[in-house]
Amino acid sequence: MHLGNVLDLSRAQFAMTAIFHIMWPILTISLSAFLVLVEVLWLRSGKVGYYRHARFWSKLLVLNFAVGVVSGIPMEFQFGTNWAGFSRYSGQFFGNILGFEGAMAFMLEAGFIGVMLLGWGRVPRAVHLFATSMVALGSSISAFWIMVANSWMQTPAGVTVENGKIIVTDYAAAIFNPDMVWGVTHMWVAAIETGMFVIAGISAWNLFKRRNPEFFARSFKIALLVLVFAAPLQIWLGDSSGGSVFASQPAKGAAIEGHWITNKPGTAASWSLLAWPDKKAQRNDWSLEVPGMLSILATHTLDGKVRGLTDFAPADQPPMLPLLYYAFRVMAGIGFAFMVLAFWTGYVLRKTRGNLEQLLAQRKLLLAWVLCIPLPYVAVEAGWIVREVGRQPWVVYGLLRTKDAVSTVAASSVTLSIAMFLVFYVVLLGTFFVLARNWLRAGPDFTLNPPAPVKAERAAAVSEY
Amino acid sequence: MDNATHTMLAITWFGLIGLMLVFYVVTDGFDLGIGILSLLRKRREDHDVMVQTIGHVWDANETWLVALGGALFGAFPDAYALLLQDLYLPVMLLIAGLIMRGAAIEFRHSVSHGVLWDKVFGIGSLVAAIAQGVILGKVITGLIPGELSGVFVAVSAVGVVAGYSLLGSTYLVKKTVGSLEQWSRRLALLSAFVTVAAAVVLTAATWFISAVGHERWTQPGVFHWLIALGLGAGLAFAYIMGALYLGSSNGPFRAAVALFFFSFVGLAVSLFPDFVPGRLGIVEAASDTSTLVFMLIGIGVIFPVMIGYNLYQYYIFRGKVVGDVRAGE
Repeated sequence: MHLGNVLDLSRAQFAMTAIFHIMWPILTISLSAFLVLVEVLWLRSGKVGYYRHARFWSKLLVLNFAVGVVSGIPMEFQFGTNWAGFSRYSGQFFGNILGFEGAMAFMLEAGFIGVMLLGWGRVPRAVHLFATSMVALGSSISAFWIMVANSWMQTPAGVTVENGKIIVTDYAAAIFNPDMVWGVTHMWVAAIETGMFVIAGISAWNLFKRRNPEFFARSFKIALLVLVFAAPLQIWLGDSSGGSVFASQPAKGAAIEGHWITNKPGTAASWSLLAWPDKKAQRNDWSLEVPGMLSILATHTLDGKVRGLTDFAPADQPPMLPLLYYAFRVMAGIGFAFMVLAFWTGYVLRKTRGNLEQLLAQRKLLLAWVLCIPLPYVAVEAGWIVREVGRQPWVVYGLLRTKDAVSTVAASSVTLSIAMFLVFYVVLLGTFFVLARNWLRAGPDFTLNPPAPVKAERAAAVSEY
Repeated sequence: MDNATHTMLAITWFGLIGLMLVFYVVTDGFDLGIGILSLLRKRREDHDVMVQTIGHVWDANETWLVALGGALFGAFPDAYALLLQDLYLPVMLLIAGLIMRGAAIEFRHSVSHGVLWDKVFGIGSLVAAIAQGVILGKVITGLIPGELSGVFVAVSAVGVVAGYSLLGSTYLVKKTVGSLEQWSRRLALLSAFVTVAAAVVLTAATWFISAVGHERWTQPGVFHWLIALGLGAGLAFAYIMGALYLGSSNGPFRAAVALFFFSFVGLAVSLFPDFVPGRLGIVEAASDTSTLVFMLIGIGVIFPVMIGYNLYQYYIFRGKVVGDVRAGE
């Protein structure tokens, strides 16, 4: 048994499946919330344009949702197949929370998405809006429980260890663990930003091409309005989340910033803007430093103590330091760029008083929005790399090492499943893009009109296919 | 007192998870069965109707498996770890089948490759059903490899494929008209015979070959249960035959569900008090009382609500599918 091999393979498989899977739910969360918004706007204003927005974007949602569902199945079972040690050790809390997610969130989404997509004209309008809202609520509840479970792995609380497994002693402490509030909110706002950038980017592409500009100006403005608030909020949440990392996972914080030596009392830690951390040499090969800045960033004080990596034995330091260091900078850089773009575009729109022709004349600005479509995905993946690689060598921080969590399975089996997932992901991604392109080319259907209001009693008569 | 409470909670959760498993097997069983049957139909129009009969519910049906996985993980971490680790390859095969099936239902709208995705839909459903049959067979034989276990597992796979075809075909009888409905009636008859034959072989094998199984069945009280359940299953089989013969629309499906229900209670009675016969007991695999109680508050309360809106979805889309409008469009 080459356990070392199985460990690396299982880590690679988990990373691969998680990196692929997370792309889909983040869009589902925000796109379903957007659909609730346009459906409410339609019902309140009676404007058919909002109804057509609901129908148009829901087609992207269903494509995205399909890949999200099928890529999510392995996530639910991988903890057992590949991480049996982890499952035995922490199932009493972690498994419990996954059970909550399945029962409270997935079922809500799955139970109502059929009504939302196929129920137009078959159920009363209020029921349809309820179905759309339940899909949106379900996807957000799912994010909540997943982040509760993950944040507990970052900052475990509320449990004791007996006979090599945890027992929950305080549910409130375990759920509201130190990282939970920041983990949940930072992730949820990231999902909202993702969806808004996708909606704005696709709208900008149509505006750029002058296809149905009135229609797409509306979705562009809605997404922009949300982003003007969400982008700065996310920077604040990210900063607070970082502060929590330095307080509760100091080795991760130090690794993210390439910080090796703890600053002496009364002095400030300097911040490396760019560097190349070298684990073997236990220092940065080179770095571009801003004196005193790290104390301010990490502790929001002038000379706060920031523990350096050399405080920890090399076996307790995260691996792949340059990856961590640069993944963090990519994520943060994208976050700031988003705020600048949202503010600048908001300023331009105010200046032109929302005039459509003047918006269409902003060719470069529109193109910038189109080019931004992949960036939220890059930022989310980079953020997850920081979060998960930074937690290593622990799977449950400070309690259970990753190497003690892996299953005893044959390396060949894991190799086989990795190959299988790779093939599936290529096909799924390729097919998704082909179908999404067809959807984009077809554009909104302007012949669609809202179905006549259905009364509850009449719904029965109409329901014959 | 504490121990008694814990035992009671563990058994409650064993029952709840069993119930989720029945929901999954019956509902996704007919989805997968329809997928398997689609391999036998050539016309695209038939595939359209077949997918449309499940288009609005398959996702929620599959979600019972996800909910089940989470509940098992939380309530019985040791069983979750043991089963999934020891069944690595069949579980990956199941995941492969479910990915193919789920993706195909959406991607079959592709203009250029729709027909190909229809094949993927059928093959994915077949693969998922076979994988479930293998998992079932391996659990019953206590995860012990060997030639006899291999035959048992193979019969179990045939049984699950036939059983899902039975559920799928009787569901199609309920939901379709014309030649597809008539064809489904014939397939229902055939798959009912194969299902029952496989069940009889598995029962005989458990009695004559499995030491653990034989011992459990001869325990006081257990045998009466099994006789009653066997009678129930026999009646359900007779009802399927009668309902098919008389041309009833809803009867065959209801009876097929009853057949599955009796078989599952029989399985649960046979396994009890073990998760995996001879390998892992229910109580020793269970989480601590605090977790079992907390999960019961969280999931137990929501359970009737889940059933409620699932039923509502079936209610909205009740009746026969006649048109050739593709699901999702």
